[in-house]
Amino acid sequence: MKRVAIVGVGQTKFRTRRDDKTHPELTYEAMKKALDHANLELKDIEAIAYGTMDPFDGIYCPERWDVTSGGVGKPFMKISTGGTTGLTTGLAAYEHVASGMFDIAMAVCTQRVGECVDAQPVLNTAVCPIYERHSGAGAISVAAIQATVHMAKYGTTEEDLAWVSVKDHQNALKNPNAHVKLDIGVEEVLNSPMICSPLKLLECCPRSDGAVAVIFASEEVAKKIRDNPAWVLGEATISDNYYAGDRPDLSHWDTLSIAGRRLFRHAGIDNPIKDIDVAELYSPFTIQEVLELEALGFAKKGEGKKFAKEGITFPDGDMPTNPSGGVMCTNPIGATGLVRLAEASLQVMGEASNQIPDVSTALAHAWGGTLQFHTLMLVSSKKKL
Amino acid sequence: MKIGIVGVGITEFRIHEEPFYNVAYQAAKTAMKDAGIERREIDSFILGGYDSLGVGRTISNMYVAPAAGGYLRHEIRVADDAAFSIPLAFMRIKSGLSDVAIALGFGHSSETPVELVEVQSLDPLFHRDLKLAPQMGYAMQSYAYRNAYNVSEEDLAEAVVKDRKNAMKNDYAYVKEETSVEEVLNSDMAVYPLREPEIAKWCDGCVAFILAEETIARRINPDPVWIGGLGWSYDNYFLGARELDKLNSTKLAAEKAYKMAGIRSEDVDSVEIMDLTSDYHFMILEALGFADYGSGKELLDSDFPVNKSGGALCTNAYGSTGMFLMANLAMQIRNGEAERGITHAISGIGQNSVVCVLSK
Amino acid sequence: MVLKFEAKWEIPYVHSAGEHGTKFFEALREKKILGVKCPECGRVLIPPRAFCERCFVDTDEWVEVKDEGVITTVTVTYIKFTGLPDPPYATGIVKLDGADTGMLCLLGGVDLSDWKKVHEIFKPGTRVKAVWKDKPEGKITDILYFEPVEG
Repeated sequence: MKRVAIVGVGQTKFRTRRDDKTHPELTYEAMKKALDHANLELKDIEAIAYGTMDPFDGIYCPERWDVTSGGVGKPFMKISTGGTTGLTTGLAAYEHVASGMFDIAMAVCTQRVGECVDAQPVLNTAVCPIYERHSGAGAISVAAIQATVHMAKYGTTEEDLAWVSVKDHQNALKNPNAHVKLDIGVEEVLNSPMICSPLKLLECCPRSDGAVAVIFASEEVAKKIRDNPAWVLGEATISDNYYAGDRPDLSHWDTLSIAGRRLFRHAGIDNPIKDIDVAELYSPFTIQEVLELEALGFAKKGEGKKFAKEGITFPDGDMPTNPSGGVMCTNPIGATGLVRLAEASLQVMGEASNQIPDVSTALAHAWGGTLQFHTLMLVSSKKKL
Repeated sequence: MKIGIVGVGITEFRIHEEPFYNVAYQAAKTAMKDAGIERREIDSFILGGYDSLGVGRTISNMYVAPAAGGYLRHEIRVADDAAFSIPLAFMRIKSGLSDVAIALGFGHSSETPVELVEVQSLDPLFHRDLKLAPQMGYAMQSYAYRNAYNVSEEDLAEAVVKDRKNAMKNDYAYVKEETSVEEVLNSDMAVYPLREPEIAKWCDGCVAFILAEETIARRINPDPVWIGGLGWSYDNYFLGARELDKLNSTKLAAEKAYKMAGIRSEDVDSVEIMDLTSDYHFMILEALGFADYGSGKELLDSDFPVNKSGGALCTNAYGSTGMFLMANLAMQIRNGEAERGITHAISGIGQNSVVCVLSK
Repeated sequence: MVLKFEAKWEIPYVHSAGEHGTKFFEALREKKILGVKCPECGRVLIPPRAFCERCFVDTDEWVEVKDEGVITTVTVTYIKFTGLPDPPYATGIVKLDGADTGMLCLLGGVDLSDWKKVHEIFKPGTRVKAVWKDKPEGKITDILYFEPVEG
């Protein structure tokens, strides 16, 4: 396997709507920023992996139009895997380089959830039209049923969860690209309207428009581009069976545990909380960060609920999560996973807007489907742990 | 490191009554049986096929991943004709991240009007209101091609006749009905200048390949079919910015595939091409370097095997056609009918192409 | 100021239930719920499916399960999403007696206005029973919702 590094990151500003740009113009904006960050030109990019989730933008196969952003005449591969799309697109671009087939490849993801008048009916079309669609299930209700079980089993409180939201919202204030910027405390979260019990409005992500691009390079090339690249140390993806009712225990995200273990074994992580300095987790709903902390071994089962409340996941805590403000404050769905990788890479490079001091290793995560898929990527300033 | 195909699974290609994921399961199961391995021996599941609107479900891999056997395994999906998933599976193995992978393509057209779905791929600002069905795009290419090179209707009809004849000998082909040049020329005009038999008909069907790194491949199958070269390339979306009488995405993809394999078009002895129309049949052969521009018809009179499968003109499942053609070439190589061949797939209105070199 | 164009997708679909689904929906007409039993792991799977994802084998043995079971989890939706049911509505997972997997479904028969009370009534482990449509049509909506079993 060839060693690969992330050498450039570009993000657009994420907003409710980006009426100033068309779909390919938004894609171009992110690509251009990533090229500028790496001090490269479009001709240097040998191949592109492009990701989006079609239905949200009201365009089917939007890559056909979006390729005009700079992909014409290049190998340009469309990836789409649900909520994990952003990170699987990053993974695909990584494999372009790790295989030795290309020296420089770009991952780019664009999503305009803001152009979709309501995202939940689209998410409802993900569930089986024959057996499950009538239940009204969307992404929020799927997270809510996790929360119900975690609360019943571990006594997790509404206040515990509210702290996760407060932490993410405080972090987003420092990120110029973040979408929702609200200076809120626990009371505001607890008093916000109930959406899908027990999850309230301020425990749920927004729908965002925006794009993100990440450039991968082989070791020899990466060294020439920058002296602080983010080396890719490992990846893991896992797929569960389809039906949400098949999950053995919703209080524990066991598939993420399995994926985490595979990644850590491969990358040489012995103790996640010690070896990983910051994590960008895909937690559009408060409860999911708690589940993810527990599944990845940052917290013991049932103890993830304390992490935000006790400050452990705040920027000055022992295990900072989502210093970017996370998915809670910015969710361009099919691009969100790649934003996690972009932000994790910036932390490793020491260039993040809400920089955690002395980061050497950072984790990026995304989940998708009805709690069905997970993807993880680990980046570090070190070539090897 | 070489990467080989050690198992092939093809379902029937027709209009299926079973949901697409059950058909996908059959393809995966057949490929595993063909390779003589169990689901648990496969570490990576690379899916290919169209999303959302094609099957009316927003994240189609939610259904296909378990059907492919991806339970608790690595899984990813290339959202395009499934042939485009082959490069990704190849790169994953080449990276050393996978030993044995499955690439599974699902094709399904019968749950919804495909043209209506495809119209939604047009941007909502400039083109959507033109309601340009893919066949209309192909027709504009045909018109440009016929005009540029004075290609006769008889020669184009001959391409259909030849594919139809070949399909008669292929158990997996969908349209099995021989025709004649006169019949084609007297058939109804569908989208000018294309007559009804000159346009591929939609059907359903799935294909799966088991791919493995060389040393493991040889343990599984003493004679794998090797993937020697791969190239893929995207052309412009705006038809007005394209040379409509040529398929430049195919040309660029072929150049990359030949370069990687270290061969030229003269070095292959069989070719499977995704001829969605009679004109594409020639235009693809020209882009692949088998004939000069406008001279693709010359291959009709040669012994060189083109589309022994019957081609896309006889079998076109929405999302898996390219992989179907590739499976047919792999079988030809296995059966000793060919030593080295190339296979081609195309998507959009001739916008994106992938070319793959397979050999003994 | 930029121009904006409204668009709407209206695409008809005819989804096949497949042979397994067909058997399940035909049984619903008689207010019966059928699952399939995996010949390898022995789990009874609801909704039924043509193969067990875990064992990767065909599933052809049919088992009738009760229309009664226990709640795994619940959520009540209080805001209106385009095209989705009018709020409030309760969605949950019920593990039917005789089945090894849960079923995503609607819960009802109780006042849904106060979510805390609903979560109290539908605590994980609570026994519930299907409330059927008077004249089932062979669709999943023949089960209107699951309600608590008295006592």
